Amino acid sequence: MAASNSVLGLYDTPNAGADAMDGLKSAGFELGTFDVLTGTPYPEGAFGEYVPQHRLFRFPFFGAMVGITLAILFTAGTQLAYPVITGGKPILAVFAMLIIAYELTMLGAVVATVVGIIFESRLPNLNLGAYDTRITEGYIGVVVECEDDRLEEARGVLQTAGALEIKTA
Amino acid sequence: MATTSLITDAPDDRPSNIESTALLAGEGRTAAGTGLKRFMWLLAALSVIGFVGIVFRFINDDGRQDWGFYAATLAWMLTIFGGAPMVAIAPALAKANWVRPVARIASLGAIVTAIIALLMIPLLFKFPALTQFSEVLGDDVRRRSIWFDSRDYAPHFWNVLILLTLALVGIAMAYVMAIPDFAAIRDHGTGWKQRWGKKLARGFYGRPQQWEWLKMRIGITGALYFAMLLYTNFTFSLDFAVSLVPGWKDSLFPFYHTISTFQAGIAFTIIGVWAARRWGGMNKYVGHEQMWSLGKFMLATTLLWFYFFYSSFIVFWYGRSESDSATIKLLVSGPYIYLFWTVFFLVFIIPWWIMIWNKVRDSVWGPPIAAFIILIGLFLDRIRIYVASWSAVPDDLELATTSILQDMPDTMWPDVFDVFIMVGLPALGLLSILLVTRLVPLVSLWEIQQSRLITKPVRFLRSHVQLVGKPD
Repeated sequence: MAASNSVLGLYDTPNAGADAMDGLKSAGFELGTFDVLTGTPYPEGAFGEYVPQHRLFRFPFFGAMVGITLAILFTAGTQLAYPVITGGKPILAVFAMLIIAYELTMLGAVVATVVGIIFESRLPNLNLGAYDTRITEGYIGVVVECEDDRLEEARGVLQTAGALEIKTA
Repeated sequence: MATTSLITDAPDDRPSNIESTALLAGEGRTAAGTGLKRFMWLLAALSVIGFVGIVFRFINDDGRQDWGFYAATLAWMLTIFGGAPMVAIAPALAKANWVRPVARIASLGAIVTAIIALLMIPLLFKFPALTQFSEVLGDDVRRRSIWFDSRDYAPHFWNVLILLTLALVGIAMAYVMAIPDFAAIRDHGTGWKQRWGKKLARGFYGRPQQWEWLKMRIGITGALYFAMLLYTNFTFSLDFAVSLVPGWKDSLFPFYHTISTFQAGIAFTIIGVWAARRWGGMNKYVGHEQMWSLGKFMLATTLLWFYFFYSSFIVFWYGRSESDSATIKLLVSGPYIYLFWTVFFLVFIIPWWIMIWNKVRDSVWGPPIAAFIILIGLFLDRIRIYVASWSAVPDDLELATTSILQDMPDTMWPDVFDVFIMVGLPALGLLSILLVTRLVPLVSLWEIQQSRLITKPVRFLRSHVQLVGKPD
């Protein structure tokens, strides 16, 4: 299997970056194998980039379910193990349990969301690929992941769009 | 990098100023004209039925408990029609651009507050004074209220005054917001509309100073309306519900009442927007963005409804004093338990479940469904609260001398006159709004035109965005 390469084209205008993205699409590079790097958020789809559907909302839902289950087990278990009648209420006092249930539901949702953010953001990303620090100065980076056999083609497309510099990692 | 080079022109299919001005002649609703007239006649007929219900309610009056449904209906009308203008006020104060097309629909709710103030008068005849039977009990024995040692009829007087003040500032706000549209009606309308436009425009010719004054007047009346709405909810809920139940002491209840007013106001506006699109020919003016933004606020208030209910409930539940237990039984677990659970699902669970989904919230059909469910739920909620309160201790002497609710009242069911009232009075409120829209456009044309001036659909590189020039 050929080694995977990361090729970065650096542009000084967003238009040139968008042209590079168009060029890669026209050249038949698959959506998801090339992306745009910017130092500021641009409107979604501004570069015609592939917009992945995030699944982050599943994480808090899952975490909340785990949290509320633990809360019910915890509060019910504690009260059944140590049955102390408080304020004349039943041993399993639902409305008092709701407060703990809410806390653990939120805790589960929050923890799962943080995990989800790390997971969905692919953090930590140990394989950065090609990058240039000028991107945070306002330059636009277009990065392509490709195999050896398409490396020159990718560089050619990026160059045609007017790349100031092309880096390979 | 030059940012301007990223932006290129995009097709603009928004209605032109001329097209918008044509709405002044009512062209926007010609498609639904006949249907709308029939609907208004239906509302008029229902309003008459409502008045018949009031008359027969007086004739068949066996005591205060018979007026619970009337009080609940008024409370619900205050909740939805009184809360709606807040949708026009709060985002406008935050300079949100999306609210412009819905500001008129929301502000028209204020018109109904004047009707509520008038409809409150019959209720006052059945509302007990602070001191009852002083010849028997002496002046020192007073029923519990927020008015302490005030004159006997302090709640009656102040509640009418508060509602009238709310109505006054609400109508003033709605009127001020419509002045530039009246000027356009004066210039482009015909017949009676033009005559009314001339009278109501009050010499508005669009001078910079007049626009500046207009902006300030909207800001001031909006802020005053907000302050009055909080106060109205505070006094109305404490006087017409809490003070009528011996032992019910709940400082959170007015907040609960207020937050559900905001929730209902948003729900009413969402349904208004949907109706304006469906039958009012307003598709080009209001739509996706408004539904999405309002939907988020409605979800937030739906969550807050539960927060305030639970915060209040847990104190009573764990307090467990005799009066706490009696209050919970009256309002939650006793004669109205099935109503309570229905309310719980209609006001919280179902709308919450509908509105948490992005795709539903981001549609033009999802929020109206949730809004409709909420309004039904809040109507039942007001019945749960006010019918229970008005039937708790119907005897005035007992109310003045009892500090704890001893005998739990039976479930009150509406009779035919209550049904007349519950159907007729809200119909009257809706009719009054629709009558006003015979003259005033359903969308604020000058705000739409301002929005058109300061926004522009453009192409930003490969995507479509709105370019917004936000005024200071």
